[in-house]
Amino acid sequence: MLVKLIEMIEKNAETMAGELKNKLLTDPTTPSYQTLDDRILYENIFEVYSRLGYWLLRDAEKGEVPTHYSAVGAQRFGEGFPLHEVVQALVATKRHIWDTILEKGIMRTAKELDSAVDFITYLNRFFDMAIYHTTLGYYRALNLKTAS
Amino acid sequence: MLSKKIIHLIEANAMQLSNEIQQRLLTHPSTSSYRNIGKKTLHAWIYDVCSRFSYWLDEDRERGEVEEHYCNLGKERFKQDFELPQVISALYLTKRRLWEFMAASREADSALNLNQIVEASFLLVRFFDHAVLHVTEGYEEMLQSEHGYEAPLSRPEQLAQALEAKRKREELVYEEPKLPTLCFTKGMIRLG
Repeated sequence: MLVKLIEMIEKNAETMAGELKNKLLTDPTTPSYQTLDDRILYENIFEVYSRLGYWLLRDAEKGEVPTHYSAVGAQRFGEGFPLHEVVQALVATKRHIWDTILEKGIMRTAKELDSAVDFITYLNRFFDMAIYHTTLGYYRALNLKTAS
Repeated sequence: MLSKKIIHLIEANAMQLSNEIQQRLLTHPSTSSYRNIGKKTLHAWIYDVCSRFSYWLDEDRERGEVEEHYCNLGKERFKQDFELPQVISALYLTKRRLWEFMAASREADSALNLNQIVEASFLLVRFFDHAVLHVTEGYEEMLQSEHGYEAPLSRPEQLAQALEAKRKREELVYEEPKLPTLCFTKGMIRLG
């Protein structure tokens, strides 16, 4: 059932990435995202949604998550983004997944709810690590700049 | 609210949860700065969140007190020389322990209980999302006031320049290609 939830998100990745892209481009709390090419922003989001199983089911504390999101943090620092906007965008990315699940109304039975509890665990573990490592990458880039 | 029972369960177990969270913060490699704080002080911070969880989760607070409290916390941690990633890690470690506690209370054959857990998780996640965001904002304010650092796109004129640069890039992409003109003369086609 957990896998079914993940597969549902991956199957709807195109629509969800488009929706979130539009939200980030118009949200007054993420104005810096309007400076990104729409296509690149879409692709960044699509990468998460279309491979959600890959991201969620790996050990979020090791391997690609720290490396990838540390690089994202450093990149956003280099692009001049305020860190709180980057955090906000990652939170919005996570919330959109949860909102989609609620919208689909697939948490009715005890079995579905039980899977939802597992899904919440994996989802939060991944995004907590993503936000933490993004912050770490940003902070290290900031320290390098202020030291030089 | 379905999730009240679970939230009150957290409050009832606040002392034990605070002890466990404190232990995690003192031993986790990503929160080494917390070892410099007195144990009683650290415990008091954590206990304040756990013992008044229903207070903190109250939706109205997210528009006011949570924002102010965690923004001030970000500023305070900056003054205490904490690295921001460590502060964020501490918040996530706290959240994780509280979530583990909630999830462990589920009874697989009770749909109502699972509904409570899912509802409570939404409140828990939302609270810590706000906490992390506002801590970051407070910390950034101190970076600006103490070190004069401000993210370039925070400045309206630089944001406007970046938006203009994007607009120009998009214009170049959409510019219609100029086709060569054909000039017909007797027996010869010339391209000009």
